[in-house]
This record gives sequence, C-alpha cells and structure tokens, in this order.
Amino acid sequence: MLGKVFGIMCLISILFASLSGNMAELGGAVFDGAETAVTLTISLCGIMSLWCGVMKVLQGAGAIGFFSRLISPVFRLFFPDAEKSGEGKEEICACIGANLLGIGNAATPLALSAIKKLHSDHVRKGGAADCASRDMITLAVLNTASANLLPTTILALRRSAGSSSPFSVVAPIWICSLSCAFLALILTRALGMKKGKKG
Amino acid sequence: MTVLIEKVAALSVPLVIGITALVLLFCRKVSFDTFRSGAKEGLACAVSLLPSLIAIIVGVKMLTASGVLDYISKMIEPLTSLLGIPSELLTLLITRPFSGSASMAAYSELMSTYGADSLASFCAAVIMGSSDTIVYIIGIYFSSVGVKRSRYAFPAAFTVMLFCIFFACFLSRIFWRG
Repeated sequence: MLGKVFGIMCLISILFASLSGNMAELGGAVFDGAETAVTLTISLCGIMSLWCGVMKVLQGAGAIGFFSRLISPVFRLFFPDAEKSGEGKEEICACIGANLLGIGNAATPLALSAIKKLHSDHVRKGGAADCASRDMITLAVLNTASANLLPTTILALRRSAGSSSPFSVVAPIWICSLSCAFLALILTRALGMKKGKKG
Repeated sequence: MTVLIEKVAALSVPLVIGITALVLLFCRKVSFDTFRSGAKEGLACAVSLLPSLIAIIVGVKMLTASGVLDYISKMIEPLTSLLGIPSELLTLLITRPFSGSASMAAYSELMSTYGADSLASFCAAVIMGSSDTIVYIIGIYFSSVGVKRSRYAFPAAFTVMLFCIFFACFLSRIFWRG
C-alpha cells in the first residue's frame, strides 16, 4: 500500500516539476523531507511512550473493563447477533473501550479476536465463510470512525508546530468522532436490516 | 459554551495522569514496571513508524515543491469553498483512507506550510482525530478470517468518512479562533 502511495507521489511530482520548471526545489524537498521525518519522530517519541505507559497502567487496573461495562447497554441495539449468541461480546466491548482510551495496540488484537469469534459463529449458523456477517461489518466500520477521548498524537504535533492553543481541537474532535461513531452504527444497522442476514 | 467545553477538554490530560498516579500509588495489581513496559512499547512504536514516515514525508514534500498541489487546489477551489472545505486539505483527504503515516505526514506538512493555528490546520486536526485508515482496518479485520466479500462495509465506511469531513470543517468554523 505505502509503496504504491509513495511511487505515485514521486512520479506525479517529478512529472509536474519538469513541466513547470520547479526541478531545483524538488531536489531540496527530498533532503528536507527526510530531515523533517526524523524531527517529527523525535517530537512524537516522548508523548507516545508516556501515553502508552500511562495506558498500560490504567489497563492493568481494569480501565478497559470499566469502559466496556459502560458501553454494554447500547451494545444489544447494534450487535444483535452477538448479543443473542454471546459470542465475541466481551471482546467487542473491550475493543471499543480500548479505542476510546486511544490504546491502539491493545484495540487491534481485541478486534481481531472479536472478528474471529463472530466469524466462527456466523459459519456455524450456515453463513458463507468468505462473506462478512453484519456484526463483523458493524465492528469494522465503527472502528474506522475512531472515537477517541484523547488524541495525544495530534495534540503533540500541534504543540510542536507552535500552536498557541493545542487543546482547542479536543472539543470538536469529541463531538465529531462521537457523531461519526453513531452514524456508523446507525448506517450499518440500517444496511444490515435491509440486506438481511443472508450472503 | 465552546469555551466551557474547551476548559473541560484541557482538564482531561491532567485528569488521566492524576488517575494514573493514584493507581500507581494505591493499586497493588500494577507497579512502575507496568508503566515502563508500556512506555517501552510506545517508544518502539514511534521509532518503528520512522522508515515509512521518511518515505512518505519525502513524497509529500516533493508534491508540495513541484507545485502540483497548489495547481490542483486552485482548480478545485470553487468546488471546495462551496462545500466549506479548505482546499489546502487536499493531500490529507486523499491519503487518509489508505495510510496512517501518509496522512500524518500530510497533517504535519500542512501545519508547517500554513501555520498550526490556521483554519486549515484546525480542520485537519479534527479530521485526523475522528477518522481512521478505512482501507487498512477493514482489510486487516476481514483478511484475518479469510473473508473476501465485505458487502456494504466499504460504502458505509466511506459515507461515514464523507460526513466526518463535512462535519469536521463545519465544527472547526465554530470552534476556531484565529
């Protein structure tokens, strides 16, 4: 994926630069870009380690379990099949909890094990093995909406870029990501109802 | 109202750190080693991003230097201004569904070009914070169990993302104070 993205970016810029005569700037941009990547990583190292450490501590104290209990009342509305069978319910709630806390490296394995359970339940009930069930789609689409209580990476980058109020984006991010998550839930529920459980 | 929400938001980081401190002091299940092992993972994660970030940032910088971004931005400006989306967001919007590091690179390049406190950077931050790499996530989830037919997953995810872009820009106009 990245190879293609990088390749297309380079080809387009070389083509356009040769047409518009910006070739000299293009050479400079290569050195500049490599340097920027290193400064960017250095400015992210501190906050990413601190935050992963903090989240590991909270995780150890049961924060993910706490959040998944908070979510579970809404759960039955949007994951009807998992609610009925109980398969993968815990993992889905824990995964949403981990996402809310912004613990990406805990959320992905949880999501994968939830998908695995949903899939085997789907196959057991006679669904096609190469076809996604509606609960699997709901979970995947919900996670692309990325509801996140504290976007620390974004804040760190804003700060290092010299923003006078790095935190001012937090409130709109809360509103926007929660709305997106709800839209994702409602949309997948509606589409899942229309097309039924078959397929 | 917006000021109040902002005050709450600014409290959130100290709050989380405070809870962590209490946990470290009073919870027997975790120790400072728990923190250290987490911090080590975070550090490794940040460093492991570097190789792809180098390639992608070089790519974004080259695109910017070649002038093609300005050119396309100007071309689509009537359309984007009609929709209320700053045209500077172009690279970010194109890369966001495919790659986390590419969109991160676009985001930081945007801030260094137009300033961290510009409306475009503000919109970019909100979009970054409330969307994710659709293609990557759905790809990983479904391929892990051998699912090939994803049915309405991509249409639904892209619809949510479109909504996210418009709504983020709309909210940014309310919350942004230049």
